[in-house]
Amino acid sequence: MDRGLYVAMTGAKQIMQAQAVNNHNIANSSTTGFRADGVAFTSEPIYGPGYATRVNAVAGDAGTDFSSGVMMSTSRPLDIAVNGKGFIAVRGADGQEAYTRAGDLQVTASGAVVTSTGFPVLSESGPLTVPPSTQVTIGTDGTVSVVPLGLSAAAQSQVDRIKLVNPSTKDLQKGTDGLLRLKSGGKAKTDETVTIVSGELESSNVNAAQSLVNMIELQRLYELQIKSISSTDQNEQSAQRMMMAA
Amino acid sequence: MNLALWAAKTGLDAQNTQMSVIANNLANTNTTGFKSDRAAFQDLMYQNVQQVGAQSTQNTQYSTGLTLGTGVRIAATEKNYTQGSVLQTQGNLDMSITGLGFFQITMPDGTISYTRDGAFSMDAQGNVVNASGNPISPAITIPANAQSVSVGTDGTVSVTTAGSTKATSVGQIQLASFINVQGLQPIGNNLLTESASSGAPQVGTPGTGGLGNLSQGSLETSNVNTVTELVNMIQCQRAYEMNSKAISTTDQMLQYLTQNV
Repeated sequence: MDRGLYVAMTGAKQIMQAQAVNNHNIANSSTTGFRADGVAFTSEPIYGPGYATRVNAVAGDAGTDFSSGVMMSTSRPLDIAVNGKGFIAVRGADGQEAYTRAGDLQVTASGAVVTSTGFPVLSESGPLTVPPSTQVTIGTDGTVSVVPLGLSAAAQSQVDRIKLVNPSTKDLQKGTDGLLRLKSGGKAKTDETVTIVSGELESSNVNAAQSLVNMIELQRLYELQIKSISSTDQNEQSAQRMMMAA
Repeated sequence: MNLALWAAKTGLDAQNTQMSVIANNLANTNTTGFKSDRAAFQDLMYQNVQQVGAQSTQNTQYSTGLTLGTGVRIAATEKNYTQGSVLQTQGNLDMSITGLGFFQITMPDGTISYTRDGAFSMDAQGNVVNASGNPISPAITIPANAQSVSVGTDGTVSVTTAGSTKATSVGQIQLASFINVQGLQPIGNNLLTESASSGAPQVGTPGTGGLGNLSQGSLETSNVNTVTELVNMIQCQRAYEMNSKAISTTDQMLQYLTQNV
């Protein structure tokens, strides 16, 4: 059997996977704080005796695009957006510290501050909780202050501070839950220079035009691979006909 | 089945839900005390196809992994409890709350529901009731011979009767607040009910503990910002189109495959 057929087949398969990643990005064009995923192809030579007989294409993660999204004003005091670089620390379902840019926060009945996806927001000393209060205010450095329930605005008191970090994006890896974690495991240090804006949310950073162009490119590449498959098939057929005639 | 198709399909679903939320907000632009909703998008689980840092051979490691995202979903609809504008109506049983509290309404089954809609009226017995005829809690009855009704900022309801110059108090309106107002369950008719995530109501006199003052003769309008909703609608429509384009492109790829091989 012609090996070309298999090389083209792996190419087509990997391009379809890349299209899945691209479609995932497009599907998340409205997800708050979403960071687009990339795909890169690497060549993987298959060595036999002597020279490599063929080279397969293998799709791999080209990491995550960490450029900023657009700020959307919501005027809700519990919506926060990280200004420029940096991340909000949360506790993932696995109990480990993880990072996100999605700052649509909620206060649960027990006073825990969580993201809209239910992950507890962390302070330097652990999960952030607020006492029963009538108003929660989040400062630019993440300081949370509240007006306790039943008291006047003069009784405003500082509660805790949201842990904001700024590890190098090269060290970050997106987990299967969509949260970012340090590749090495462990925790990032609090960065005092990270600032947040209250009353705003950061949009997804998926670039619509780029995603659509990417989609077309992948489609055509896919067709190219399929064309190789059918050409190889035709070669085989011609060869077979000659053999039959002989 | 093909992941590329399904990821785009989840995008269509989520944008469709988002459009319902926007349409509901726009439909309630003139609903007294209505609080706008917002759909919270969340990316679905990722599939780890190839673990980064795994051994590619005994001595080498994969420098990159491959995680495939599987799409998006609407994780929640969140109500935005910012204050709506106050509309002067001059109705003597129209009230608006400037602050966080909710009016309490006794439902036919005896439970309490909560509302920001302060458009009250009287029934045949003089009970103060909401637009659906459910009485306010604690119950307040206006005597038949009342000439005028006034509601103080602290919720005291007083009436003057014919032949008397002195106002007499007939009850006091109490407001409720919650630790997590986002956790309240909307049940329609401008009403909300307590849930496990809202916490128990903290009932108090208007004007104390941040519950907010009452203002007679005015109503709180819907807090829907139509401009925001229209921008959201445009964004939603274009995102929907992009997802549908992604589906048709993936379909064309598969079609090309079946027709040429």
